Amino acid sequence: MSHTKKVYTLSLKSYKDVYDTLYVSLCLFAKNYVHDLDLAKDLVQEVFIKVWEDKIEFKNEVAVKSYMYMAVKNKCLDLLKSKQFRSTENMSVEDMDELNKDSFYLKEVVIEEVSSRIEAAINTLPTKCAQIIRLSINGLTNPEIAQHLNISVNTVKAQKKNAYKRLRPLLKNYFALMAFVFDYTT
Amino acid sequence: MLNLSKIILLSKQIAASLLKDEKPNTLDSSELFSDQEKEEILDRLTNESEIASRLHSKAKINSKEDWKILQSKIDAPRKTYYWRYAAAAAVVIGMFTAVYVLKDDFLNDDVAKPIIVNNQIVPGDNKAILTLETGEEVNLVKDVKYTAENLQTNGEEIVYKESSDPELTKEEIAYNFLTIPRGGQFQITLSDGTHVWLNSESKLKYPVRFIEGGTREVELLYGEAYFDVSPSTEHKGARFKVINKSQSVEVLGTEFNIKAYKDEVTVYTTLVEGKVKVRSQELAQDLVPNQQSKLNTTTNVIDVHQVDVYNEIAWKDGVFSFEDKSLKDIMTVLSRWYDIDVVFEKKSLESERFVGVLKKNYSIETILSIFQEANIINGFEIDTKSVIIK
Repeated sequence: MSHTKKVYTLSLKSYKDVYDTLYVSLCLFAKNYVHDLDLAKDLVQEVFIKVWEDKIEFKNEVAVKSYMYMAVKNKCLDLLKSKQFRSTENMSVEDMDELNKDSFYLKEVVIEEVSSRIEAAINTLPTKCAQIIRLSINGLTNPEIAQHLNISVNTVKAQKKNAYKRLRPLLKNYFALMAFVFDYTT
Repeated sequence: MLNLSKIILLSKQIAASLLKDEKPNTLDSSELFSDQEKEEILDRLTNESEIASRLHSKAKINSKEDWKILQSKIDAPRKTYYWRYAAAAAVVIGMFTAVYVLKDDFLNDDVAKPIIVNNQIVPGDNKAILTLETGEEVNLVKDVKYTAENLQTNGEEIVYKESSDPELTKEEIAYNFLTIPRGGQFQITLSDGTHVWLNSESKLKYPVRFIEGGTREVELLYGEAYFDVSPSTEHKGARFKVINKSQSVEVLGTEFNIKAYKDEVTVYTTLVEGKVKVRSQELAQDLVPNQQSKLNTTTNVIDVHQVDVYNEIAWKDGVFSFEDKSLKDIMTVLSRWYDIDVVFEKKSLESERFVGVLKKNYSIETILSIFQEANIINGFEIDTKSVIIK
């Protein structure tokens, strides 16, 4: 063989897969700590850069999410605790204690995970169906939805049935995400 | 530390309940949160204004733009294409003749003479990069042999041996990648006997052997490939499946071509022999021979029409066959094979059309001169690896 080369590659494609799946969620998650979307984006980008530079490897969906949410949370808290930030922003000790709690972290993860899953699912539905499911999540009853959209209750029921049928495969494997395994070698 | 798997499972269950308009019982019974927190979670998920405010923030995140920023910040690994050195050496001679006018005696005075400076353009050749399951990369170039336990290559084609050891087939399947750079082409015979021709700027992922009786699955990550699939009848009825980012093609044993380039929104699947099923999301489309499906990956619409298959698959036989193709499309094809950048000085030339067959071993000057003689273009310039069409 003319030439062989040992490489330790973190495939750009797998990295992009993680980015595509989690970037928006992580930004929205970070925003609930720092209350500024642009700042949130910068912090999330910093975490992504670190993942690339340190060639961090993940085995599955849980591993990648555990790492990313935790890393973003830590980045946010570090910033909030920094002298520089505290000199310009006024955050009470109580508020800071609240953000430091594990249950706050878990609550924010749950909200982001559920929201992004619901949005992804609804986006696969036809417009009318999607509209009905959204109203239904907002707590409207079938007659209320019917009145709101100026259609019959039977149509609402039929559309819901249609939606569940379409969503069934998604709900069954709970939106099994792509494999997050990086193509890497020793 | 906290285990996030419980949280992810819980999130999946809550999402499913809300979508089905059911009470999220799993949240109610969860011990991870206080009642107050549970109430807040449900409110944030179902309250109209909470949802609207989230969507409002979401709309302000441009993940495509941010990806570009991110990409510029990370230092993407650069692959070294060793074959380039060989190509460069072949061109050195040409560099001494800085200005080289092609077929001078054939050209009339009123035909613009092409300006050629430091022409480094050569036709493509057999070359590929093989990525083994260990991550090791092997540069496959013409006339170079490489042999491993389960494969051998002669610099033109790579052949995987069928596994005869029944114990082996129970092991975890290892995947290899074959990457064809711009200016390259390569062939591969998979362990089941399926033969694949790969065009320039393409990448295929495949298992080094297939599980007996299981669906044989490969992935065309991008680019163009022609498949001559070993029949299912020879593999206990196992189907063959080619997946791609936006579609999958399922076959029993047949010949077909898939074109799915990164810079094109359309994925073309052309059937030569047999029968295939093209799937994309909830769409499915059967093809019969001489039919081509065009999947628009933006609108997710599949169109099917009759084609002259020869034009679609001629590339694998060393020929470009253009049937009333626009110059823009033609130059896209040529840019992959000659690894060149093409600039149209006049936009209107992009829609000029051409019918004809060109050999892939022609020099770029020959091809451009043919276009010039046919009055499709007025002239051209070559500088290093760029072509300007006038």
